[in-house]
Amino acid sequence: MMTSPEQTIHIIDDDKAMRDSLSFLLHSAGKASRSYTSAKAFLDSGIDDLDGCIITDVRMPDMNGLELLAELKARGTRAPIIIMTGHGDIPLAVEALKAGAADFLEKPFDDQIILQAIQKAMTSAPDSESDTLKDGFVAELATLSPREKDVLLGVVNGKPNKVIARELGISPRTVEVYRAHVMSKTGAHSLSDLVRMSIAVGL
Amino acid sequence: MGNLENPLQLLPVRFGLSHRQRGWALFFLFAAFFIFGTIRAQLSNLAGGDHRYLFFFIPLIIAVCILSGWRFVLVTGLACLIYSELLSPPVWPPRHMTLPHWITVVVFVLTVFSIAIGGTLMQRTERAAILAADQAMDREKRLNAIISTIRDGIIIIDKNAIIQSFSEAAEGLFGYSAQEVIGKSLTVLMPEPMRSQHHNYMQHYFDTGEKRVIGKIRFVPGLRKDGTQFPIELTVGVLNSNGETYFIGFVRDLTEAEANRKRMQDMQAELIHISRLSMLGEMGSALAHELNQPLSAIANYMKGSARLLEAPEPDLSKIRDALTSAGDQALRAGDIIRHLREFVGKGEAALKPENLHQLIEDTGALALVGLSDNGVHLTYKLSPKTKTVMADKVQIQQVLLNLIRNAYESMRDSQKRDLVVSTNLQKSGEIVISVADTGPGLDPEIVNRLFQPFVSTKTESMGVGLSICRTIVEAHGGTIWFETAPEGGAIFKFTLRKPPEGIDDDQP
Repeated sequence: MMTSPEQTIHIIDDDKAMRDSLSFLLHSAGKASRSYTSAKAFLDSGIDDLDGCIITDVRMPDMNGLELLAELKARGTRAPIIIMTGHGDIPLAVEALKAGAADFLEKPFDDQIILQAIQKAMTSAPDSESDTLKDGFVAELATLSPREKDVLLGVVNGKPNKVIARELGISPRTVEVYRAHVMSKTGAHSLSDLVRMSIAVGL
Repeated sequence: MGNLENPLQLLPVRFGLSHRQRGWALFFLFAAFFIFGTIRAQLSNLAGGDHRYLFFFIPLIIAVCILSGWRFVLVTGLACLIYSELLSPPVWPPRHMTLPHWITVVVFVLTVFSIAIGGTLMQRTERAAILAADQAMDREKRLNAIISTIRDGIIIIDKNAIIQSFSEAAEGLFGYSAQEVIGKSLTVLMPEPMRSQHHNYMQHYFDTGEKRVIGKIRFVPGLRKDGTQFPIELTVGVLNSNGETYFIGFVRDLTEAEANRKRMQDMQAELIHISRLSMLGEMGSALAHELNQPLSAIANYMKGSARLLEAPEPDLSKIRDALTSAGDQALRAGDIIRHLREFVGKGEAALKPENLHQLIEDTGALALVGLSDNGVHLTYKLSPKTKTVMADKVQIQQVLLNLIRNAYESMRDSQKRDLVVSTNLQKSGEIVISVADTGPGLDPEIVNRLFQPFVSTKTESMGVGLSICRTIVEAHGGTIWFETAPEGGAIFKFTLRKPPEGIDDDQP
């Protein structure tokens, strides 16, 4: 196989089907992976100087994804951490990004998306990337209309469209339109992009 | 002063007089003794010692009798006799006395005795009367103390509804002072329409003797002096005194009780609403999360398999395993949904004959609890032919609750807010229950997907309510559908079955 040890992807999920299927998907893309049934199992596996990439579910018994993230950051782990969230867990995802996660993925996800996310997380030097992104984003931010900014703030704070709609007194559909405008204006490819950039500029 | 008054109390002055009166009585008596004694002496000097002058003392004896007791009458009588005899000799030996003289003495003694006896009897009667009056006054004082302590207002009216008595508590409740309302008609304390009806109510009682209010607890509005109304609990009793009829009303302010009750209701409503929302909301969220796992797994297996198939020599056994696993995950998703349906519909509904009208009215009351200031007018048009229905009561209540709440919320911004729940029996034997509102109706776009889960027009809703309604109605062997009212409002209708023949229609 063409994998080197530092490219091993560590999958942490309490759901067996999720672990096996993700492992299978990564295998089909030529990537080696190891699975762990819980955050504890992963921490106990004795990997001190860890490379590669960590993909963890956010909702798990005992220690959840965010707690694991905090623990790994505290231990000084340099491997990028990708968080998998369920539907409607955007607030958790935002929190994860603020806490230093490399990316988040909403389940279920496209194979392209997860592979790209892993690729990006493992290859890019996070700091330089965020700097260039930040400059562009700040420039784009100025072109947003006040309403678009309101919607962006709502999204970045992890509020569902319906809640944003109610708070702004507009319909959820209008919120979707604004959200699309914001995405295209700022050049964000995904929600995680948008949130990451917003966090970078300190919105 | 006290030292001077104490000896007065020992003196034989009649019962029931005050200290001051006793003093005067004694003074008067001594004065009378002195005057009568002097005059009697002068009479003897002027006109000689006639023994009949003895009778001159009778008025004095009577005066003593009025002012004192029988003992003092006898003592005075004896004193007068001796004094008079001394002035009209010969006193001793009595054999010198003439017959008329004897008669005079005997008559005088008898007179004194009868005055003493008569006076004592009179005084005894008077004393009893005074005691009774004192006791009555005591009782009244006690009663007044009670009345003024009771928090309920007490109002006494005569047969013409004129206020005779108005307790302190009533003053506090109504804001009138007793002087302001005593002598006025009770109707000043009532708002319309009771005010104009009250006379008829009273007349009805006098004409028929039928007690509509008397002896019962009624909840009526009261009118304060400042024109505000407040809820009161009224209890009325009849009082017959001296041939006159009076009514005594006990008035309890329910403002606080009412506020408590309303708060309870609000809390209850909140609870019902929250439990409903959270049940459906949690269910939706749990469903989404649970389904995400197998769906993600399926996507991963499928996408991975597709990737492997692109290789020149695909590892078919790996792909087969992945596809098998994907199939298992699809089945797992199916299980999750089946679980949810079982949870919502409990599999098969336990159908029993239920009183549909009561079920609808109870649910209507429950659904509107806590929403009463919305101005929605809820009416029922329940066909008598639809009295009994086969239903799982709790589940059908859930359906009705959902439909009525939806109708209610849809009319939030409507001018006209009529909510009609009606039932009728179709020729097919099915009972149709409809919930019609005068809201804006529904977006045609959404109508076709209305009973699917996660479709909602509401901001806080998961959109599972109507899909659960459909699950429940279908478990009852019925159908649920939507119609647009001619005026544009929404009508939700669902069918239920009548009990099989042979089951009594009147069964609750």
